[in-house]
Amino acid sequence: MSASSNKPSQRGRGSGPAAKKSAATKKSGAASKRYAERQARKKEAARDARRSRNQRYGLLVIALVVAIIGVLVIVKVAGSGGGSSQASSVSPPAGTPIPQATLTKVASVPLSTLKSASTSGVLTSPQSVNNPSLNAGGKPELLYIGAEYCPYCGAQRWPLYIALSKFGTFSPQPGRIHSAVDDGNVPTFTFYGTNYSSPYLSFVPVEVYTNHVSGNGYVPLQTPTAAQARLWQSVNQGGFPFIDFGGKQVLGAAQYSFQSLSNLSFDAVASQVGNNSTAIGADIDASAAALIKTICGSMSHGQPAAVCSS
Amino acid sequence: MSEDFPRWPGIAGTIVCVLGLGVAGYLTFEHYTSSSSLACSDNGAINCLKVTTSSYSSVAGVPVAVLGLVFFVVMLALQVPAMWQRPERWVRVARLVWATAGVGTVVYLLYAELFAIDAICLWCTSVHVLTVVLFGTTVYASLSYPPPEVAVS
Repeated sequence: MSASSNKPSQRGRGSGPAAKKSAATKKSGAASKRYAERQARKKEAARDARRSRNQRYGLLVIALVVAIIGVLVIVKVAGSGGGSSQASSVSPPAGTPIPQATLTKVASVPLSTLKSASTSGVLTSPQSVNNPSLNAGGKPELLYIGAEYCPYCGAQRWPLYIALSKFGTFSPQPGRIHSAVDDGNVPTFTFYGTNYSSPYLSFVPVEVYTNHVSGNGYVPLQTPTAAQARLWQSVNQGGFPFIDFGGKQVLGAAQYSFQSLSNLSFDAVASQVGNNSTAIGADIDASAAALIKTICGSMSHGQPAAVCSS
Repeated sequence: MSEDFPRWPGIAGTIVCVLGLGVAGYLTFEHYTSSSSLACSDNGAINCLKVTTSSYSSVAGVPVAVLGLVFFVVMLALQVPAMWQRPERWVRVARLVWATAGVGTVVYLLYAELFAIDAICLWCTSVHVLTVVLFGTTVYASLSYPPPEVAVS
């Protein structure tokens, strides 16, 4: 457009009508330029507006994500989120709290009582293995793999709790559960949600399933690490319970029969711990004594002396 | 070649991805060796071991730590400054989709930690923070600046 409008202006330079025409053409060219500039400014303004609108949308999306995260945290902190159906079915509370007096009674059965219990009901004991050392936190690791539904694990946790209490402390303490109602209904502890500290060993519990039925199985709770799963598979073919004492000894089954504990209350079993005149008391006490001996020999290097040399 | 496209999204994204790769790599290493040696508190609400051994620590048999590693590897490829200068639409879309998938996973895992596992893993939380930052920079930069133009020969 501007190229064609220049032609008459060059041809008509100096003549009267031609000069007028040239002036008109110049005027029209300037107007076109101004129009183009206006259009460009409009375009730029529209682009800026679009950019700033998009920017607002972007910030809104980011704020939304941060708000969702904030709401989750606030709901948790406010303590109103623990009751969601998913949480309770997939990960049940770590058992019902056990009165401190009961825990103290179970944990403080004298070593002499444990040692003097009849071993007639003890079916198996830890076996020596030649595996690589198992350590955690710079200490020998006692790895326990079980499941809350499993009645054998239910029976095994009693002596294990007693034995571990001689070498360290639980905080929080284990809660009270029972194995699956259709699978023994054995009253017991759960190690899920507990923490154990000891100067002699590290206790690493993995409760793989809850006692909540799901389809043909149970709701998963904790997943062993790949290394734990390999060890568990190779030594115990994935069977419950599995206990590895620092890679030195392993226990691949419950030490005594769970049958006698079936359908009893937690307190009924707890009251027999330390009482070697009952079959339940003797089984638990003798099993605990065997575990203590194993820990002293394989993990704690005979420490503490008050426990290991008695 | 193109109208000036800021360099900060590429630089920031790359730095965040490298940090994320480091943490996700550590968690993956720990998963395949022994999570019990994780350098993390194991008391009360902060308990890495409880989180990394929970049923939420793997999806369809794939450890979440490995998924995190894959996330940051792919994201790094999309976040390097050269990729931010690419004019193709699919690059921007892929980056936004990947960042959104990442932040969605973070929300799910945070929910699992707070309400199902009832414990927080600090290493996991640092990955979550990095993923949210990555999402923020990606969304902001993608929507604030027009894509670089195709070079005209």
